[in-house]
Amino acid sequence: MPIIVNLDVMMARRKMSLNELSEKVDLTLSNLSILKTGKAKAIRFTTLEAICNALDCQPGDILEYREHDNQTRSH
Amino acid sequence: MTKRNNLVFIGLQIVSWVIFVGLCIEAGAMIVNFVVSLIKPEFVRNLYQKLDLSQMYNTNIWVYFGIYGFILTISILKAYLFYAVTMLLHKLDLLKPFNSHVADTIKKISYITLGIGIFSLVAREISKNMAHYGIEIDKLNQFWEDGSAFLLMAAVIYVIATIFSRGVEIQNENDLTV
Repeated sequence: MPIIVNLDVMMARRKMSLNELSEKVDLTLSNLSILKTGKAKAIRFTTLEAICNALDCQPGDILEYREHDNQTRSH
Repeated sequence: MTKRNNLVFIGLQIVSWVIFVGLCIEAGAMIVNFVVSLIKPEFVRNLYQKLDLSQMYNTNIWVYFGIYGFILTISILKAYLFYAVTMLLHKLDLLKPFNSHVADTIKKISYITLGIGIFSLVAREISKNMAHYGIEIDKLNQFWEDGSAFLLMAAVIYVIATIFSRGVEIQNENDLTV
């Protein structure tokens, strides 16, 4: 998937565990795990807002767009 | 899910089990009749539900096998249809109904229903042709009189299955939305 979720990177920078983050953003551990492992298909703005608030960061710090290797080779 | 809906659902499960058992008994009786008629041809006079196919048997044994094959196939398919319906009702979780298993089962039910409809219509046409050769077919019509209804039901169930599959996709996407 071209959208990469760098949640673990931000969590490491802020020295926050998954449990702490789940309590702060009021999201279950399983949902956070789905987001962290890149299995999520969509994210609500309210969730993104809560995560950015908890990690004191911008949406761009958590979400990254990366083209597929095939597409980069063709360009 | 209200308690009343749950009671209706339980009632549906019981009814489907009863119908399934009844259809199994019917299909089993037909199979036994067929096997016995092979061993003792005189038994052809007194088959399931007092069906008398002796004239057909004496005219052409292959016609008898063909027609009885249709009767057996339709009755077995009907029993299998209600087995699928019973399993669907048994495994359906009303709190989370949109899953791939339910969608596949509904699609399977539509295919079985289509099969019953097609076999019924073909058997009806073939038995009508038999009438031209002087073979009595009046008592056979009970086995395939509702073929058109099954075809209509198959079409409706297929549409429902397609909509349900789309529901499953939406549910899966929803489950992976955080």
